[in-house]
Amino acid sequence: MEPVTSKRVAVTVNGALHERDVEARRLLVHFLRDELDLTGTHVGCDTGNCGACTVIVDAKAVKSCMLLAVQVDGATIETIESLASDGGLHPLQQAFSDHHALQCGYCTPGMLMSAKHLLDHNAEPTENEIRRAIQGNICRCTGYVNIVEAIAAAAKGEVSA
Amino acid sequence: MLLSEVGYARPAAVEEAVRLLAEHDGARPLAGGQTILNVMKARAAAPDVLVDLADLEELRAIASTDDGGLVIGAMVTSAELVTSSDVKAARPVLGDVAAQIADVQVRNRGTIGGNVCSNDPTNHLPPVLVAVGATMTIAGADGERDVPAEEFFLGVYMTAVGLGELLTRITLPPLAGARDGFSSVTIGADGTCIVNAAATVSGDEARVVLGCVAATPVLLTAPAEDDAVREAVHGAGLEPPSDVHGSADYRRHLAEVVAARAVAEAGGGG
Amino acid sequence: MSETTATTAAPEQVEAPQKGFAGQSIPRKEDKRLVQGEGVFFDDVKRHGMGYVHFVRSPYAHAGIVSIDVSAAEAVEGVYGTLIGEEVAAQTDPFFEMSTPPGNEIRDYALAVGKVRFAGEPVAAVVAETRELARDAAELVEVEYEPLEPVLDAVAAVEPDAAVLHDEAGSNVVWSGTFDWGDYDQALAEADRVVKIDRLYFHRFSSTPLECAGALVEYDRGTAQWTLHCNHQMPGIGIVWMAPALRVGSDKLRIVTQDIGGGFGNKITLHPYFVALCLLARKLNRPVQWTEWRTDQHTANTHGNERTFLDVEVPVKADGTMLGYKVRAFDDAGAFPRYEPLGCIIWAQVTPGCYRWRHVRVDFTQACTNKSPTAPNRGYSRMQQLWFTERVIDLVASELGLDPVEVRKRNYIRSDEMPYETPNGCVYDSGDYARCLDIALDLVGYERLEERRRDAESRGKLLGLGIGSTLDSGTNNFGQSQLLNPELQFSGNNEVASVRLDIFGEIVVTLGTTPQGQSHETVAAQVVADLLGVTPDDVHVRAGHDSYWNSHAGFSGTYASQFAVTGLEAVKGATLALADQIRRLAAVILGAEGPDSIELAEGFAKVRDNPEAALPFMACGAIINVNNAGLPPELDDVTLNCRYVYRPPFQVPDTERKFGNLTLTYATQIHACVVEVDRETGVYEIVDYAAVDDCGTRIHPQIVEGQVHGATAHALGAATFETFPYDENGMLQTSNFYDYHVPHALDMPPLKTGYIESPSPFSSLGTKGMGEGGGAGIHAVCAALQDALRPLGNPLVTESHNPYHRVWELMRDPEASRAGVEVGAAR
Repeated sequence: MEPVTSKRVAVTVNGALHERDVEARRLLVHFLRDELDLTGTHVGCDTGNCGACTVIVDAKAVKSCMLLAVQVDGATIETIESLASDGGLHPLQQAFSDHHALQCGYCTPGMLMSAKHLLDHNAEPTENEIRRAIQGNICRCTGYVNIVEAIAAAAKGEVSA
Repeated sequence: MLLSEVGYARPAAVEEAVRLLAEHDGARPLAGGQTILNVMKARAAAPDVLVDLADLEELRAIASTDDGGLVIGAMVTSAELVTSSDVKAARPVLGDVAAQIADVQVRNRGTIGGNVCSNDPTNHLPPVLVAVGATMTIAGADGERDVPAEEFFLGVYMTAVGLGELLTRITLPPLAGARDGFSSVTIGADGTCIVNAAATVSGDEARVVLGCVAATPVLLTAPAEDDAVREAVHGAGLEPPSDVHGSADYRRHLAEVVAARAVAEAGGGG
Repeated sequence: MSETTATTAAPEQVEAPQKGFAGQSIPRKEDKRLVQGEGVFFDDVKRHGMGYVHFVRSPYAHAGIVSIDVSAAEAVEGVYGTLIGEEVAAQTDPFFEMSTPPGNEIRDYALAVGKVRFAGEPVAAVVAETRELARDAAELVEVEYEPLEPVLDAVAAVEPDAAVLHDEAGSNVVWSGTFDWGDYDQALAEADRVVKIDRLYFHRFSSTPLECAGALVEYDRGTAQWTLHCNHQMPGIGIVWMAPALRVGSDKLRIVTQDIGGGFGNKITLHPYFVALCLLARKLNRPVQWTEWRTDQHTANTHGNERTFLDVEVPVKADGTMLGYKVRAFDDAGAFPRYEPLGCIIWAQVTPGCYRWRHVRVDFTQACTNKSPTAPNRGYSRMQQLWFTERVIDLVASELGLDPVEVRKRNYIRSDEMPYETPNGCVYDSGDYARCLDIALDLVGYERLEERRRDAESRGKLLGLGIGSTLDSGTNNFGQSQLLNPELQFSGNNEVASVRLDIFGEIVVTLGTTPQGQSHETVAAQVVADLLGVTPDDVHVRAGHDSYWNSHAGFSGTYASQFAVTGLEAVKGATLALADQIRRLAAVILGAEGPDSIELAEGFAKVRDNPEAALPFMACGAIINVNNAGLPPELDDVTLNCRYVYRPPFQVPDTERKFGNLTLTYATQIHACVVEVDRETGVYEIVDYAAVDDCGTRIHPQIVEGQVHGATAHALGAATFETFPYDENGMLQTSNFYDYHVPHALDMPPLKTGYIESPSPFSSLGTKGMGEGGGAGIHAVCAALQDALRPLGNPLVTESHNPYHRVWELMRDPEASRAGVEVGAAR
């Protein structure tokens, strides 16, 4: 096999298989946003610090600006668009609303995916574990106070109907 | 954010990876990508080919050696170091330090091989591997060679891994009665490192390795006592960089403090 | 937490503070879309055939442009075109400048013309089929520069031998002037002591909203109109800058925002970029899209004002009463003034801070330097001034051996003095600073302070407590601009809302504001629901802003803690007008005595004494819109589509004395902070923190508290981590989130909050704007550090930014920090 500058990738995103020719240099976040029109995943920096682009690839939270689209060939990806189901919000989404854990909402999709990754692996996190889980997600509006509360509430199932 | 055009290959075997790296002058291995993609986003570097190591399963293993040491594949992620029971049993410092690298997402992708091969002076793992006396195994066209960790780091972003070569695994000796410690001062919790130190204390002697004070980790040995460690660091003639996060004076001072704390954490001190 | 009663005579309110949805923390209307990733931010907007814009930026802080060659870039397949400064200079006029000479001689264009004045300044733009290709081609643009000496300090910039940035102005001074209120010389004569401080320094940083700037711009050749899908947070003034520069009327620019990913003031001066985009859209006849990247935002968007205070003098009485102050202030505006020199007067909204200083003499100079331009940043210009007042209080207390709590209580303006006229004619509407302080101290366990100091010491730590304050002056009187330049034709303020009843009885609200997380959809719906007797679910508040909605005025936008007064008063005015029209219509249809006999409840207009006679809103909407034959002439003016422009009751200030009321309301925040400092490293941790807010009547307490949390996080970040320093070549040292560390979840201390409510007598809802309370935290940290370090030779904190290494330097050499502070006898 020889290096190629563009490649066909097949990736399952939110349950649907997508096949696309993609430039090797294209970041996953731009593939999701610009080519699959999944604009819920955001870009907040250019150095992988902010976590606004967090998605779950093969059950692991990752920053989609720190991954090339060609690297996810064959992978299964969950983005924010997959979180609600059957017309209802995910408990984390509801808890974020209950606790006013979002203001401008720009970091929220990435924050929710990090929170989901946490709860997928740890059903009863402590406050410190919650903070560690979202350490890679910058929020400039909330000071994290209500985000931490919301994740704790979602973990306990304490969300409004 | 926007990378220059680049070639991409995803070999299925180490030999093929080495061949690709050798055949393309500007080829670079792509491990977790948590450093190199940033560099490419800034267009501070523009390798012409990325050789993705994702399919090299043999680089993903953590194994205990018969003598109680560890062999860690270069593609083992920081997250795997944190949760590995083998690491915890053999050299727990490695998991403890890996847990302080950046954040969950970066630890899920970033690898031990990538961390050491990028040799960013603010990285935590290079001092740790030098302190514990790790051995780095490098594969090339002519087979494998071993390089002690203390000879591995050559400069900022430069290591003993040459063109056409690949770091494949890292071997850690057993503790054998020694104890490890680590201490750092970072900008905020788990932020960019200002100074760090790893220490391995065997009997009365401490191997102390300082990071962020030079282009490569600085190894010192001293009696495992607080005053002696500080004195050794003080007398080491460190010429650390001055930047927005701290003056050279501040780093020199911190080096003494974190060295002493790392030794204390390893059970030395006094 | 208990609530205060109003501290002044009952305000003249249209009706009593509302009982109903206002005051409740109802679910936010914005959340459903945002938690699902269904918000629409500018970068989510796409158009067929759009081109991506990449700017070529200056690598030099100061240089002449010898030549620009775009031919290689234009030759790349997939490149649609380019734009350079020469074209900009030919096709546009320089942006309007607010200063007097020499500042108003500056010629500021969308791209650099002839010269670059800061590293990162755009010199050319390239448009291409993909984002990546645009950047590839931008690298092929060849620019030849002739480097010049950079000017990097505002104080040095005004020296006669300094290099000059703007040759046409002939000087780096943007604006300078003096302010003299009360009788400073008399205060000196009355003083027992005079404390002198050589230099205090408030550093450069910005709130760095997570979403960077950007726009998708479409040009319609047939109508010669541009539509900007963008995140401009002050479209009213944005258009005032852009339309004349583009030589078109304001209606040719349609600014549309839906969701904005944070603003904090940093999205007010986007006009240079947006004009470049407008020119490209017209030149190339295709939609163009530009996304600013983080590095660009840090290097070349806007920073908060950097201010140096020199030769501070504070006359004090023996009992600790402070009589006033004198200072020479230098403000660093960066390379272009843009929103400046307004920062040279905005601080005067809070001239004495929370204190009863009556005699003030300020010599204020603002200068250009070869750094990123500055612009409003959360707490704009007041934050610097409030930090100054609080730092002065603590330095004076330290030098005279006074207790920081006692000295504050002695000098605070008292609640029974409200409304209080400051020395420069501003009117503090209501508040109780001493009470807020008591609550804050209680929350951080002040009574156990000495015990905690000992405990910390046993662990090798130094513990200290600090207090900070913010007076969040909301609803500007833009007439204050005339104190800088009497020729300016700005005064008062305005905001617009429209409320209408649509065909099927839908209540539709449009706002002139541009929310970036401030929850305007929710809060407006609360106010409308209460006035119309419906629920917030029945009220559809359109998301975002569209200057073609006709709910837009010259000062429209979201900035300067305005919405709780300007926005809600507009909403209320429009809703009351609509309610009146519904009553008039219903009275006629139901044959009632008159509008006064109709009440609005549960979506019906009902005859008060005959509940059987009721007209549903749906019928009202249908009658006026589609079933209106036979209506009597007295209903001719009933449209059920009511627009209201709220104008606060401002006068133009006295430009001779620089005297007058500059803002309508003042929310208070008093913060208390407890730090523990590692004696060896200078690393410190905030172990207790309380923020007590008083923003008058709270419409949505949860949203208010969220603002308090967020503003506090900004302050703590700025106090410890966030700074925009430049090296000697004028290169920014913190252009990304590695080096510009903002607080992450593990960096934030536990926050305790408290509140009181002192309703404003000047807003009909009793509300006060309150989004910018963060400055208090910067000072609280400074003061806590100074308190903690006292045992180590009493070093003095004279800078707003105190990273670990700075704290270590204070511990290492306390005398150096003390050298510039002295206490003298009065003359």
